[in-house]
Amino acid sequence: MEYLKSIVPLLLPELLLVVAAGFLFLLGISTKVGARRAAPWISLLVLGGCCWLILGEPMKLSGFDAKGTFEVTSFSLYIKLLACGVGILLTLLAWPTNDDATGNPSLNFGGDAGEFFALMLLSLAGVLMVSGANDMILLFLGIELASIPTYIMVSVSRPTAVAQEAGLKYFFLGALAAALMLFGFSYLYGTTGTTSLHDIGQLLAGTQAGPAGATVPTAWQVLALIMLLLGFAFKLAAAPLHFYAGDVYQGAATPVTAFLSFVPKVTGIVAIIKIMWVYGGNGFAVPEIFAKLLFAIAVITMFAGNLLGLMQLNVKRVMAYSSVAHSGYLLVGLTALAYAGGNGSVQNAALQGVLFYIAAYGIMNVGVFAVLQMIPAREGRSTTTAETYEDLAGQGRKHIGLGLAMAVGCFSLIGLPLTVGFFGKLYLIVPAWNLASVEPELKGKMAWLIGLTMLNAAISAGYYLKIVGTMFLRPEPPLFGDSVSSLPVPARSLAPTVAVVLATVLTLGLGTLIPATQLLTTRVTDSLEIGRQPPLVAPDTASVAESR
Amino acid sequence: MQDKYSLLLLLLVPLLGAAVGAFMPSRGAARGWALAVSVITLMLGVGLAWQMNLFAGIDSSLSSIEATRQTVQLQYGADAANNKFAIDKIGFSFHLGLDTVSLWLVLLTVFLQPLVVLSSWDVIKDRATEYYAWMSLLLAAMLGVFIARDLLLFYVFFELTLVPMFFIIGIWGGPERRFAAGKFFLYTFTGGVFTLAAVLYLGTAAQSFDVVRVIAYAQANLSSTERFWVFMALLAGFAVKVPLFPVHTWLPLAHTEAPTAGSVILAGVLLKLGTYGLLRVAFPIGLLSTSEGVISGGLIGLLGALCVVGVIYGALVAWVQKDIKKLVAYSSVSHLGFCVLGLVSLTDIGLQGSVLYMINHGLSTGAMFLVIGMIYDRYHTRDINALSGLGKNMPIMSFFFIFFVMSSIGLPGTNGFVSEYLTIQSAFISPYLGVPFGVLAATGVVLGAIYMLHMSAKIIFGPLKVPAHEEGHGATHGNAAVGADSHAHGHAAKNDLNAREIGILVPLAIAVIWLGVRPTPILQSMTAPLALSREPLSQHRSADAATSLGAPLPAEQRDRKSDERLVLNTPARVGLPEQR
Repeated sequence: MEYLKSIVPLLLPELLLVVAAGFLFLLGISTKVGARRAAPWISLLVLGGCCWLILGEPMKLSGFDAKGTFEVTSFSLYIKLLACGVGILLTLLAWPTNDDATGNPSLNFGGDAGEFFALMLLSLAGVLMVSGANDMILLFLGIELASIPTYIMVSVSRPTAVAQEAGLKYFFLGALAAALMLFGFSYLYGTTGTTSLHDIGQLLAGTQAGPAGATVPTAWQVLALIMLLLGFAFKLAAAPLHFYAGDVYQGAATPVTAFLSFVPKVTGIVAIIKIMWVYGGNGFAVPEIFAKLLFAIAVITMFAGNLLGLMQLNVKRVMAYSSVAHSGYLLVGLTALAYAGGNGSVQNAALQGVLFYIAAYGIMNVGVFAVLQMIPAREGRSTTTAETYEDLAGQGRKHIGLGLAMAVGCFSLIGLPLTVGFFGKLYLIVPAWNLASVEPELKGKMAWLIGLTMLNAAISAGYYLKIVGTMFLRPEPPLFGDSVSSLPVPARSLAPTVAVVLATVLTLGLGTLIPATQLLTTRVTDSLEIGRQPPLVAPDTASVAESR
Repeated sequence: MQDKYSLLLLLLVPLLGAAVGAFMPSRGAARGWALAVSVITLMLGVGLAWQMNLFAGIDSSLSSIEATRQTVQLQYGADAANNKFAIDKIGFSFHLGLDTVSLWLVLLTVFLQPLVVLSSWDVIKDRATEYYAWMSLLLAAMLGVFIARDLLLFYVFFELTLVPMFFIIGIWGGPERRFAAGKFFLYTFTGGVFTLAAVLYLGTAAQSFDVVRVIAYAQANLSSTERFWVFMALLAGFAVKVPLFPVHTWLPLAHTEAPTAGSVILAGVLLKLGTYGLLRVAFPIGLLSTSEGVISGGLIGLLGALCVVGVIYGALVAWVQKDIKKLVAYSSVSHLGFCVLGLVSLTDIGLQGSVLYMINHGLSTGAMFLVIGMIYDRYHTRDINALSGLGKNMPIMSFFFIFFVMSSIGLPGTNGFVSEYLTIQSAFISPYLGVPFGVLAATGVVLGAIYMLHMSAKIIFGPLKVPAHEEGHGATHGNAAVGADSHAHGHAAKNDLNAREIGILVPLAIAVIWLGVRPTPILQSMTAPLALSREPLSQHRSADAATSLGAPLPAEQRDRKSDERLVLNTPARVGLPEQR
């Protein structure tokens, strides 16, 4: 009972989401259309409530629960706020706008609106849990809670074979990734005898014999690390487990694709940061092998994403590989973090860069998908929203607002100035240069890292520019015979429009209004106290915390 | 008292002009609005020149001092007090400033803009509102590059020019416009990202993005390896923009496919962003060092060789072109070779000549593109073989055509002569280049005369030959911009220039003559700021340097400077109305 008392206030947002999801499942079996219509409103309300809880007074208290498995730190609060904030945008994308509440033109969940939004909330609850997990079991459960609903969401998102294939593929590969992760966790447990991430960190901290205070993990622990990184790479859609991205992203309905490109990525990045914290002995002084692995994964991921992206004809596949590439950029930030080792200020800057970039990516990416969702498909395909370049051709001239929103999103993803993407890249690169100026022997490595990142930014401009160019510079192609009598008009419903406007305004606002950017960076800065608060109750960890 | 806001206005007027212009109800309103915006910007530019006392007797000591400067320091990162965040150490500032070099380029930009808007007056029919909004945005971005005194801000504007130009080429350009727009964007952006990496490296190392501080830091502290790589990365962006010889391939396509106004701005101003970046950032950092003076003479030789190859190669390729616009585009490659050659000579006259070359090339090549656009509007062809004897039915046009050809060749008395002479002479006397460079560059002048005269002889003189009336030609080349209307006039429109077109060319012609016969004031006015690009900022010089580039000074020095300025200014300012 005491334990429950200690954990309930910490778990409030997660509990709220899970309870709401349960309620929505019940609501989903109601036969009344009106009840189903309430589902998106309820999830919006709940996500708003979570944001309020996270920002507001109740969650000001932070720390561990009594057993030290769950922590509330400003780091986790930042991730939670981000997940709920972008979750609101994603809910708007998935808003049912058909008369019978069976989905919107791009997304078909039949009569299952309640269930669909329940799955969304459950997945977000998983992200929240991952952000607070201080135990490998909880971390794994959180990751799976975030993932499993997405498998279902992909399959139910539209009644086409390609979606079923995507769902199945995603599920099987996801299971493989889960197995890899568990494999890694089991070795980590086997070598340390505990599941608490904090305790493992302490044990590893005892081995700080490497250069610059780096820990020296055993060979088994390195094997565990490789397995874990592979598992997380799947969530991130990073190399070498990025192959599913194209098929799955194409198969899922556009709002679900937007969801897939953000939510699993956040869990992956947060999990990697947590594992770095552990392997660094409750710090970021990770062994060099970790840094080297991240370096390699980052570079391969960027090149894979961008080069594959250049070859695609389907815009959703392009965005899938763009998502892969952006995982690469995030990993570049983490590589700088890994090399920063014990250097406090650089390490904070690097972490800040990564956290800022996730937020930036979430915002600009939602904007692009929202536009894709609102533009109708041309041919009489089973899909109703734009997927190919053909679908987009000339649409920027026809629907100038949508076109401009797409241009803003794409230019931001390229990283052009005056958009949030520019500052995102800036914050990823500056820490690496900081590191180079502090530690001259790393100069060459950082120069390579940054040079390759920049090269990739240039490559990526190729396909983003093609999207913008197709929308604005190409004339609308003529209609084919009798496949469609007339072009459908864009879904002029309110919810996706709001999402487009919000995402565009945020993308431009955070890129131009310096105080706004500052607000976000400050928020990120405050979040850097990862795992540094003394625990609330647990006395055994308290003594450890003091000794740090 | 300096007018604190005129620099900010110079940026805000076109920016707001673009924002408001995007919502103009009709083509007439949009173009009128764009013209008003460009004229107001021109007036602001002239006002700035007046403040800097340029028109009231030039004194070289004076011209370098008075830099309108305002700093809106917006530090990045959170509370520096508990030092959580390393980025807070470098903060970037919204720092605008002007010295004589940037002033002349600003004047070039604001001078060309109204002419360019006027040249689009009847030609741009499709989506005119958007067009004029992009033009105004482009103006803001270009001016921003010239007045930014913060390296990151400079880069922001530098990259920002890509977006409007991408749309201008891609929507209103010729038949290959989409490919040209994409190539233009990708080439320049690819170079630009490496420049960004270098800018961030410099900013992090120097812990400031202020141009003067960065340069001073780099000259004093960077090792030669670092300097080399930073220079290479900076060069990647600027050399593509210029464009230097091996990376020039985007330019002929972009120039040819862009609408007339786009070509004029591209040749007139956008290429100068590259040379300006080389002059202001890349060369001081890459070639000068406090301890070693001018370093890496080999690198200078290499750059000089690239320039000379560009001069000759550009000229030879121009010679065989069938498309007039493409010919002029390749002549730009050749001319910009001279321009950079003057820069790498690292001599006073070379640098002065080079900046003058930037202005002259903007005027004469811009004018060439305007005249070619006027021909194209009438005959819908730019093929040298399809046109002949235009002097017979378009005498006024032919006059201007030959006039600007002469300016482009560098006939004494026109502006082109002065700058070409100075840059070639600088190659001869430069300690880093020497006679072979000078001789080879001089052959470029001869070749320039050959291809230009060859082209003018073919299309202006000889028997009259114009393309037969082709029905539906406007539609086949897919360019809605030149549209059905001008075509509908058909042969009726193939008379000589109208008043609007003459009005566009006359100011350019006056400028060409004026700079040809009286270049001394410009050259003198730039002496002091240009010295900074020639020798490293050493300790005893840094104060002067800081003033001219607009960095903050210690209080007592600032007082001294302002007193001095006051005294010098007084005679000229007597009787002038109060500054805004």
